Amino acid sequence: MSGLDTFLQVIWTFLRLSLFSLGGGNTLLQEYHHLAVNHFHWITDSQFADLYALAEAAPGPSSMIVGLLGLGAGWPHGPLWGLGTGVAAEIAVLLPSTLVMVMAALSWSQLKDAPIRVAFERGLGPITLGILFSVGVTVLRTADHHLPAYLVSLLVCALMLFTRISPLYFMVVAGLLGAVGIIQR
Amino acid sequence: MTAAPQGPAPSRRQLFFGMLQVALSAFGGGLSAWSQRIVVEQRRWMSNESFLTGLTVARLFPGPNQINMAVYIGAYFRGLPGAMAAIAGMLLLPFSLLMLVGFVYFQFHALPAVDRVLTGVVAAAAGMALSMGFKILDEYWKDPLALLLAALTFIGLQFFHLQLIPVVLVGGPIAMALYWPRPAKPKP
Repeated sequence: MSGLDTFLQVIWTFLRLSLFSLGGGNTLLQEYHHLAVNHFHWITDSQFADLYALAEAAPGPSSMIVGLLGLGAGWPHGPLWGLGTGVAAEIAVLLPSTLVMVMAALSWSQLKDAPIRVAFERGLGPITLGILFSVGVTVLRTADHHLPAYLVSLLVCALMLFTRISPLYFMVVAGLLGAVGIIQR
Repeated sequence: MTAAPQGPAPSRRQLFFGMLQVALSAFGGGLSAWSQRIVVEQRRWMSNESFLTGLTVARLFPGPNQINMAVYIGAYFRGLPGAMAAIAGMLLLPFSLLMLVGFVYFQFHALPAVDRVLTGVVAAAAGMALSMGFKILDEYWKDPLALLLAALTFIGLQFFHLQLIPVVLVGGPIAMALYWPRPAKPKP
């Protein structure tokens, strides 16, 4: 495949998924993994885990992982293709949801008591819940392959739920554990 | 919108720089808290009430929450061009930085030292991903129907390897129908 083919494939992939990012965008992670690793073979399994960690660690919305996936898809055709594909991927994933959101912002007050709004708010919540659990399990299986890694993940999960410590500290400590070889691939 | 904005409506340029300020302030995290502080308290563009309405709409509709919030603020004042200005302001610096990080990653990730550190970071990030579902679980804890729908969605995705789009297209309308508000029946 040429760089242009990959570029177009990436744009179409993310345009298509945009409106299915319920619950703040993280619901799509599992789909990203499936498409980027298993279906299109843009990147490897462990690269996906790395990119997810980088997007979480970097400042700004973590949904910018899409830019990194685009970068990875275009990279084999050269850094410039990588950059262009990364930017295009991010624009593609944001465009449809932004258009819908603009319409929502302009018309929301009129929908205030409409039954469809109530059904939408209450009905999509449980679906989002199921998707988020599934995403968590998929990322866990992609990232961890040994007991120490699983233990660190479960500990971080518990700390995220029961404390208000910034996740950046967890990443720094876990990075050190990796550097000294306690957590291995 | 029940409360009027407190100051004059911001221009597109002001929206861009306001969101740039939010993104810069939030480099250590806490993006929505920072946008509230800057948009409501410092720049007085919106009342707190309108801001919270925006946050609800942003969570509800597809798209990343923080970016949807920027879209809401931009569109509230200047329609689609305002939304574009707000997104550009919010993403310009973090996205450029992330692309730079990505460049460095693809150039150097084969180095053993980099790979070992990342292996650790990845385990922590996986723990964060796992916590997302648990975080909203207690909202639904007392609602057996919601738990059933969530369980079916989970099983379909994890064990039957269904794709997300069909799951949402089929499960979404079913869930909405089950939660459609019924008018109270008049008692005979």
